[in-house]
Amino acid sequence: MPDHGPRPDHRPGPGQPPPGRPPAVGGTPGPGYLDARPAVTVPLRWDLSRHARRLLTLAVAGLGIALVTGRPEFAGAAAPALLLLSAWRPGRPPQAQVTAELTASRMIEGERTAVTVSVTGVAEYSAAVVLHPAHEIVPLPAAAGQRPGYASGHRVRLPFLVNRWGRRRVGTAEIVLRDRWRLSEGLGRIGLPSLECYPRPATQRTRVVLSRLPQRLGEHSARAPGEGSEFAGVREYVPGDRQRSINWPATTRRGRLQVNTFQAERSQDVVILVDTAWDGDDPDHHVVDIALRGAAAAAQAYLDTRDRVGFITYRYRARWLAPGHGQRQYYRIAEAMLSQEREWTQDTGFSRLPRQALPPGALILVFTPLMDPRLVETLRDLRQRGFAVLIIDVLRGEPGAGRGRAARLAQRIWRMEQKAIRFSLRELDIPVVHWDGEESLDLSLAPFTRRVMVTRR
Amino acid sequence: MRTRPDLKAWWRRSTVRLTSAAGLLGAACVAWAAVPAGPAGRAAPFLIVLAACCAAGGLAQLATVALVPPGAAAYPGPLARVGLWGLYWLHRLPWAEGVVLGALVLEALHPARPRHTAVLGVALIAYLLATHLAESGGGPGETAAVLRGQAPVLAAGAGLLVLAAGSAVLPSAGTGMAGGWLRAAASVAAVLAFALCLPV
Repeated sequence: MPDHGPRPDHRPGPGQPPPGRPPAVGGTPGPGYLDARPAVTVPLRWDLSRHARRLLTLAVAGLGIALVTGRPEFAGAAAPALLLLSAWRPGRPPQAQVTAELTASRMIEGERTAVTVSVTGVAEYSAAVVLHPAHEIVPLPAAAGQRPGYASGHRVRLPFLVNRWGRRRVGTAEIVLRDRWRLSEGLGRIGLPSLECYPRPATQRTRVVLSRLPQRLGEHSARAPGEGSEFAGVREYVPGDRQRSINWPATTRRGRLQVNTFQAERSQDVVILVDTAWDGDDPDHHVVDIALRGAAAAAQAYLDTRDRVGFITYRYRARWLAPGHGQRQYYRIAEAMLSQEREWTQDTGFSRLPRQALPPGALILVFTPLMDPRLVETLRDLRQRGFAVLIIDVLRGEPGAGRGRAARLAQRIWRMEQKAIRFSLRELDIPVVHWDGEESLDLSLAPFTRRVMVTRR
Repeated sequence: MRTRPDLKAWWRRSTVRLTSAAGLLGAACVAWAAVPAGPAGRAAPFLIVLAACCAAGGLAQLATVALVPPGAAAYPGPLARVGLWGLYWLHRLPWAEGVVLGALVLEALHPARPRHTAVLGVALIAYLLATHLAESGGGPGETAAVLRGQAPVLAAGAGLLVLAAGSAVLPSAGTGMAGGWLRAAASVAAVLAFALCLPV
């Protein structure tokens, strides 16, 4: 993957975070800007280096053995070490000026980015920077064959990637200064800026479209006649029809003027609901991650066709974002996925969600492992209120079972309960499809994307 | 079109090169000091094993210097915690000092062989420099710059080493142990005097 950097035309692609703006002059910029912080004074702690201690060991051992055994050749063996040690001089700078800048403060999971660290005020010493990463930060080698998270120089670039979404601290950078003879080492630490990592959207190119769409211009062909580009049929000419739409072959056959009719193009409302209540017990595969990646893919796919997309997360209570369209709405949804409380509307139960959050006639896509019975009841209620609901089951594997007959019996009962939940949902005309988070969403949604989804009220 | 990886450039930039050099030099120092094992006495096999273990530990330390322990928020399992504990002590223990002491003591257990000791001295200083350059992780440019800066002092040290070895080869000034101690003290004094007047 190429390093994430600012695009030359500053127009982000689909699903890309917005570019950073130039930082404010002389101050600390707010979130969303390239994090160019002013130089920080870092106190340095000087000590004898490990190399100096080894040389001292060689010198003292050689001289000691020479004196004890009376063999001058051992003094000669200690001579180079002693001469190197004699170059040690006191007086070291107590501090250094360090600047740390992130290449990008917003990125997507798995993308490469870098932090640039500059050390000034200590030009006569050689400098090296070691990245001590925070959780889910993976340092990368600056060049092939180099040590990951390490670079030498007064201005270095330390690449890394973020494994998992969230607001993450990058970690700390340790500054190591060495004198010419490598006898003294000065150490200092600086905290690195935080960044926002959005969930990596899965692949989704096809869309589920409802049979009944609201009266709003869009890109989906509706059953009603209109001014779209999808051919619907031929009818007799009435005054007021455009001459351009006259179908001359049909007119010739029938002897009366016939005109082409087209299907109207409408947009739909889509509300994406993500269940974040249960994360599973597999530390390598988080159920919430799969759900968010699927939700990001669905949001991106529907926003690309100018549909209005809303977002709701469920964690025993609901938080919602009103439907909107455009790339800005995708960024708002991505920000909402990071659970920034101040950007959400108030927590509320599903029964109290306003019309703004759940517009009538909307398609509700639910990404859930179906582990919470309260959510299952809520989905049944939504279906009975007339909403079209499609559930994407993101449960991977089963909860860990213990040993013993009772544990096996409990696991069987759990499996039967899960099957019963899915059966009851299907009986209510709520389709349930399974998605493992690895393959494309198109494969799971294929039965519903080939033709419009008809829902009975 | 797939391009072949530039192995030469990777080898030049890689820290594997310096780590391999340090490992080979450490093993060579121990082997050089150990042979032949017969005249060194009964303690020699024990010392050889100890020095060899230190050389292996030093090589393992350099090979794992690039390993990044997980962040503070990670919850490693019991096996991972044992591995991290072992890694911590692997990086803390003074393996290179053990190689130096083991090689010098092994050499001292043998009868006087000044030229052999002089070569061991050169190998030990080379080993320490290679170890430091490998653990500091610098690129080829940095390695050359460090060695270039220290070349005059190393050359002066090599000269003193040759002088000391040569003085050991010369016939002793007097009979008995006093003559030997006198030569050793004179060599130590010469080294100290030269070091003090070195303009660095």
